Amino acid sequence: MTARRRPRRQPADAGYPPDESVGGRLVDARAHLLDRQVHDVDGVPVTAVDDLELVEGRAGAAPTVAALLSGSILNTRLLGGHQPEPRWGRIPWSSVAKVGVVIELSVRGEDLDVTWTERWLREHLIGRIPGGQHDPE
Amino acid sequence: MTRLLGVALGILTAIGGFLDIGDIVTNAVVGARFGLSLAWVVVLGVIGICLFAQMSGRVAAVSGRATFEIIRERLGARVALANLVASFLVTLLTLTAEVGGIALALQLASAVEPRLWMPVAAFAVWLVIWRTGFKPMENVTGLLGLCLVVFAVALVQLGPDWSALIRDAVTPSVPAAEHPATYWFYAVALFGAAMTPYEVFFFSSGAVEERWTTKDIAQSRADVLVGFPLGGILSVAIAGCAAVVLLPAGIEVTSLSHVALPVATAGGLLAVAVLLVGLVAATFGAALETALSSGYMVAQYLGWSWGKFRRPAQAARFHLTVIVAIVVGLGVLMTGVDPIKVTEYSVVFSAVALPLTYLPILVVSNDPQYMGDKVNGPVVNALGQVFLVVVVAASLAAIPLLLLTGAGS
Repeated sequence: MTARRRPRRQPADAGYPPDESVGGRLVDARAHLLDRQVHDVDGVPVTAVDDLELVEGRAGAAPTVAALLSGSILNTRLLGGHQPEPRWGRIPWSSVAKVGVVIELSVRGEDLDVTWTERWLREHLIGRIPGGQHDPE
Repeated sequence: MTRLLGVALGILTAIGGFLDIGDIVTNAVVGARFGLSLAWVVVLGVIGICLFAQMSGRVAAVSGRATFEIIRERLGARVALANLVASFLVTLLTLTAEVGGIALALQLASAVEPRLWMPVAAFAVWLVIWRTGFKPMENVTGLLGLCLVVFAVALVQLGPDWSALIRDAVTPSVPAAEHPATYWFYAVALFGAAMTPYEVFFFSSGAVEERWTTKDIAQSRADVLVGFPLGGILSVAIAGCAAVVLLPAGIEVTSLSHVALPVATAGGLLAVAVLLVGLVAATFGAALETALSSGYMVAQYLGWSWGKFRRPAQAARFHLTVIVAIVVGLGVLMTGVDPIKVTEYSVVFSAVALPLTYLPILVVSNDPQYMGDKVNGPVVNALGQVFLVVVVAASLAAIPLLLLTGAGS
């Protein structure tokens, strides 16, 4: 079962020791994931992390992050409602290579669903204006 | 040798790029009404913009991150969105004023109605953003903007009573004919004009565009610390020209031709020709910067790919945002609003929005996670905190003073 709930703030332990119970790294979702910039494997900006998909851990264990979500944050984070599942763009946690000041992915942003607006605008508008495909001089 | 040329070029473009329509109009308005008794505000504003431009440039050089990405990370989605909306609207207003300013300058040069120039100006701004690289764009408008040195030359040629001007500037007082609230209203406007928020977004995003690293910090510091004060001297020269020619004649500045009048008086046709080149370059350069800044802040908040170093097709949403901003600004101008009035409001609302930009920069430039050992030194921090108080005071006072004085009338 996936949960949309964000975890409560983790105590700010220095170094975030690996959590044996889930066999992964412990991160502070608010401080290190939410609202971070996501770069793809070539350093191209992909999105900012708008929300997280969490999987409930076993009894007593911390929930694990299943995916980074991108989409309209107006009715979820700002107004506090829910958003139908298909409206979120998902980046599975398995594509995340490194969590630092930016979150680096191990895949190309071009191939992800979350960048469809970029591709749509490129194909239908910006790329069609003369000069749109050229390097600036 | 090339290094020296690079430093010189950087400083010259910083001087030429310092002034925009807000600085030009506000300084002339203030000079014509208050003489040099508000020159201290320009000094304060220049110190402030040096401090924060240098800080945001250092953050961008060290962390490779532009201002609005950081604002969202530090303030969270909700507060940062409120910040984005406010900063975007103020920048849009400034963009509108700059495009109007290009049209007014071209009107002075051609006697063709400004409303015919506005679409041409807006299209030209977009075309340059679409096709020109970042460096050439900055260098050409910055160097041509140096023509505004003509204000300083004109002031010398007018042969004013220097001791009276200097006395006016160093012992400021509210002129007898003016209400103190009006004096303070223009103080806030002048402060907003010198420290316009878009300059910080543009400066930090430009640092990312030019791929600054820690090696570039020294150069950027030189550009800012030498270029901006010299640009500030030009600001004061504009006010000085107005104080010498317009104040005694009782002329209030309501159009760009009033701004040009002292230069025409002092230097004749040739000086006016130089002035017009400078005015077009300065407003055009600032229109480019504000249009880009509106794209930068939206793209950085939402995490899109952005920047002029990419092909437009590789930053499609960013370029669409820039186009929309230019079209909206043009639409506002085409309704027939007076660009000078738009300018006057834009500098006041800039003052209102200042803390939204400056507080996050001050916080992040002290954050070792982003900055490593390049965090602010104690002197910069002390100055930064003093300025934060000034910036918040100006921001809080701006709207009450605007209402109280009926926008200074």
